[in-house]
Amino acid sequence: MRHLRSILSTLAILLAGFAMQAADGDSIVRPVNVAYTAEYGAASLLDTYLTPIRYEGWHVRLGYERNQAMRFSPRKWLMQMSFGVRYDNVQNIVKNRTMHSLMVDFNWGMMHRWRDVASVKGLQLMGGGSTLFDGGATYNQYNSNNPVSVKIRWSVNLTGMAVYNMNIGKLPLTLRYQATIPVAGLFFSPEYGEAFYEIYLGNTRSLVNFGWWGNRFDMTNLLTADLHFGATSLRIGYRNTIENSWVHNLNTQVSTHSLVIGVSGEWMSVNPRRDINHNAKIITALY
Amino acid sequence: MKRLYIILSAALIALSSCHKQEEWDNDPMGNFDALWTIIDEHYCFFEYKDIDWKAVGETYRAKVRPDMTSKELFVVCSDMVNELRDGHTNLISSWDVSHYRFWEDYPQNYDKRIVEQYYLNYNFKTASGIDYAIMSNNMGYMYYGDFATNIGEGNLDYLLAELAGTDGLVIDVRDNGGGFLTNAEKLIARFIDTKIYAGAISHKTGPGHNDFSEPYDYYFSPSDAGRIRYLKPIVILTNRSSYSATNNFVSIMKYRPNVKIVGDSTGGGSGMPFTSELPNGWTIRFSACSITDPEGNITEWGVEPSEGCKIDNTPEDIYNHRDAILELGFATLEKMIATTH
Repeated sequence: MRHLRSILSTLAILLAGFAMQAADGDSIVRPVNVAYTAEYGAASLLDTYLTPIRYEGWHVRLGYERNQAMRFSPRKWLMQMSFGVRYDNVQNIVKNRTMHSLMVDFNWGMMHRWRDVASVKGLQLMGGGSTLFDGGATYNQYNSNNPVSVKIRWSVNLTGMAVYNMNIGKLPLTLRYQATIPVAGLFFSPEYGEAFYEIYLGNTRSLVNFGWWGNRFDMTNLLTADLHFGATSLRIGYRNTIENSWVHNLNTQVSTHSLVIGVSGEWMSVNPRRDINHNAKIITALY
Repeated sequence: MKRLYIILSAALIALSSCHKQEEWDNDPMGNFDALWTIIDEHYCFFEYKDIDWKAVGETYRAKVRPDMTSKELFVVCSDMVNELRDGHTNLISSWDVSHYRFWEDYPQNYDKRIVEQYYLNYNFKTASGIDYAIMSNNMGYMYYGDFATNIGEGNLDYLLAELAGTDGLVIDVRDNGGGFLTNAEKLIARFIDTKIYAGAISHKTGPGHNDFSEPYDYYFSPSDAGRIRYLKPIVILTNRSSYSATNNFVSIMKYRPNVKIVGDSTGGGSGMPFTSELPNGWTIRFSACSITDPEGNITEWGVEPSEGCKIDNTPEDIYNHRDAILELGFATLEKMIATTH
């Protein structure tokens, strides 16, 4: 009964938020913070379905990220969406075998925002949840009936972000650190010695696994600095990803460290058939 | 305090998903141990072949010295994996590949030149890697020498349309060392008109010698409607070099009521191979999943010919340019045709 009451209260708050937006919707503008990035760095990959030997090499990722204050409560909530395509090229210790990993990730989340935390002007803390879809495969061309390790996962994550707007001399700067940790989800894994031919024949038992911290632990750490040279900013940063899983006696450990570089900016959509309200309040997502 | 306990518990659970992976040094003993462990944890026929792998390891570990060369180590490691008596197990280095050459103990029982020159008179066609011809006795003959050669459905239609008017068909898979199981399925689909039970497959679920999944029954369906099927009497010719996917093809076809197997036993190879590697970059291939035939038999040691159809080509046969297996195949086919009429 207590749970029902809290769910109803939450719904009421959300509806009130929408109602508020309807009332003063004209007076708030929510620019979209967008970043296009390229990342390059090092990758370490162990996947015992393919080989018991750890491979190391280089990692590259092209990413898109979008942040925006949310319509129902723009001052307190923001939405984040990101999309990335990444490729790892890794080799064994003696460098006579190469594996290729191609993955696509899509993340969507909502975070609550606290401004001027601890009375520090310009410091914002955000915390909330997100959901991630990540899929792709690692290919080992030398293997016979185990040449590919297919990776598909969906997870519900905890995510937190600290944003600090400051100046270096006359140059405005936005520093951001974000950590994302999946809490639970579903992921694909064949069994220990299961060939994809058996899956092709129709045996789909045990392929979908419930993921939790007991059988997998993933984490993404992202540190960025947006240097505001003008309407467009230069983004530089560092991304670290960790993916560990232990299921069906198969061990997977993947980690990457990469340098991030890209452009970011805040975009507003303007309706040419309506006048621009010069008194509108602009609520940005990050800056 | 309670909060701290929760955080610590969560951290411990998280760490449990980060499983420590055994690592080996890239030296003779490290590579030997890696090879022994990979086979120990993944090989699927220890019990079936009654192999004491621990004892095998102790025997060959005693031969490993820290100062031995890579080539010396390769010989020791190759001898060790050959104790598995498995044609699917190969150790591969930059300069050599180990083989368990079981077929050396048996007559080869196939000479391509004799068949092409003295029986086909070089008058045959080829589609999707399958040679085919209509013999003077109105029987079809097709030779498929490599299951790694993909078969096109359109090619099979052309081939079987040409053979449709024959009274029976000899399918020769001698010296076919295997390839893709999907090609076996594609071929079998042309010789059945109902869904058939093909066998069961099971895989290792963990590193223990008896950690196996429940066998998964699998079935083959006839080719799509509109595709040409051949449902008349069929004889399949085999020798010890009919291995792996070919063995699988024969093991399923043997139980079709219109099929007989003629020649020598197949070479076996019913374990689907996986591949792994050692710290020094050598590749090891080994049987990892066991496939049984429709009767539940493991055919790792081969599929026997049908009753009364076991025959070898003698040296005299070869000297006289005679293929006794092929001739028995046609004779058997004639009897089968006579029975059906």
